[in-house]
Amino acid sequence: MLNYIWAGLIVCSLVFALTRDVNDMRRDTYRNGAALPVKITLDSPADAEKPSQAVHVVIDPAAYRSFYHVDDTPAESYPATLTKTSHHAELRFPADATFPKPLARIRDSTTPDDDRRLAAEVLMLNKIDPTTMTAGLKFAPVRFQTMADIANAAMIAAKDGVMKVALPLIGVMAFWLGITRIGERAGLIAMFTKLVRPILRPLFPEVPPNHPAMGFMALNLTANILGMGNAATPTGLKAMEELQTLNPKKDTATNAMVMLLAMHASSIQLLPPAMVIAVMGLRATNELLMPIWLASAFGLMMGIIAAKVFGLLPGYQRTDPNRVQAGAEVQLTEGQ
Amino acid sequence: METIRAVVQVLSTVVIVAVIVGFPFYGILKRVPVYEAFVEGGKEGFQIVIRIIPYMVGILAAMAMFRASGAMDFLIEGLRPLLRIVAIPPEIIPMAITRPLTSAGSIGVLSDMIKTYGTSSTFVKMAAVIFGSSETTFYVIAVYFGSVNVTKVRHAVAAGLVAEGAAIISSIYLVKFMYS
Repeated sequence: MLNYIWAGLIVCSLVFALTRDVNDMRRDTYRNGAALPVKITLDSPADAEKPSQAVHVVIDPAAYRSFYHVDDTPAESYPATLTKTSHHAELRFPADATFPKPLARIRDSTTPDDDRRLAAEVLMLNKIDPTTMTAGLKFAPVRFQTMADIANAAMIAAKDGVMKVALPLIGVMAFWLGITRIGERAGLIAMFTKLVRPILRPLFPEVPPNHPAMGFMALNLTANILGMGNAATPTGLKAMEELQTLNPKKDTATNAMVMLLAMHASSIQLLPPAMVIAVMGLRATNELLMPIWLASAFGLMMGIIAAKVFGLLPGYQRTDPNRVQAGAEVQLTEGQ
Repeated sequence: METIRAVVQVLSTVVIVAVIVGFPFYGILKRVPVYEAFVEGGKEGFQIVIRIIPYMVGILAAMAMFRASGAMDFLIEGLRPLLRIVAIPPEIIPMAITRPLTSAGSIGVLSDMIKTYGTSSTFVKMAAVIFGSSETTFYVIAVYFGSVNVTKVRHAVAAGLVAEGAAIISSIYLVKFMYS
């Protein structure tokens, strides 16, 4: 199941990325190779003959919209640096410039992470007066960008997953599990077990009250309630083993086993789960403790009800190991 | 509502402080070597995190790809009109799907959501409550029944999913009611 979901996520990403990129190519979203008409004004006329000049680029909103077929509007003017050689002119925008839609994406995909200065080739440079020129800006072509994005996103997520998510969890997890281990060693589970035992009796009518299975189940559920997962699993497995000794049909689950599992799916969480504290921080966890109590209590209640009610359905009653065996005995006595 | 929230706030602070201070104190009274017990538990906390790293990286990378490709937005916007009827935000769906399947993976989903929406967003609170109030039902069923070679699990999956579903859905509505 998980295998399919995981692979599905990746395959879906690929299909989506490919569709978007092909669509972009078909619609010519980035106008690869075409020149965007702009007006360039020199900041000071004295600079005109220098190879590198500080300029302002004015993009006419109407021209921008019709050029890229979008509704976004560029800023009034952008500061930039114009560099001229004998046969070539290049314009560079500062790294902190904010661009409207397709241009922002062109910037992100044509510049490296550590140098976000968008560059454009300047074509058809025409002087109108000493400080004003018209020109066409040609940006580097953008192709299969979403495909590159998903690969990049996977690499960044993998790196951040360890450095920014997992490793910072260690401290809080170590501290919280250390504290709860003290409680465990001090016999807190045993103490709470006394409270849990009487509640369990009516839920497991097939299990004799003094059977060891009852003890292990009480331990298991208490460990779960206190969020001591490390103590919960071994006691849970032990409880299953003991329940199995009461099971007349070894390959089929008894009602008691189903009840134990249903109570496991969402058992009341008294202490905040260590992972939530580690991921969300103590303040946020504090806020969330109440909804966690209520939601887990409701889940536990519904689980118990579901286990009981489904057990009464004829289909499941017929497969009940205890009932099947009882039925067989009845037939045996009738035969005699 | 405001008073309830204040009471809850105080109550949960008391619980957490009671654990942090009370456990070592109670341990000393019971003559438990508290520091040794703490270190022993701490080692396990360390190992748990190290153990879940590959699972988390797998889910985080797949989720990041899914988001970057635009498929996540498509899924969320596609589900929105459907889920509006029951007043459930579609942003929470990835968590609701992963939680019964994998514990480490759902931590990955939670951290992905924190990165996207921020810790104080309602979606992240919902996801954290879902994480805290339910279990990896499928995994538990597989391990527990597997350990005693029971293959016919009868209504265990159905009952487990009812419990899990109840916890997940009530988590969503509770957070919605209490924090938005």
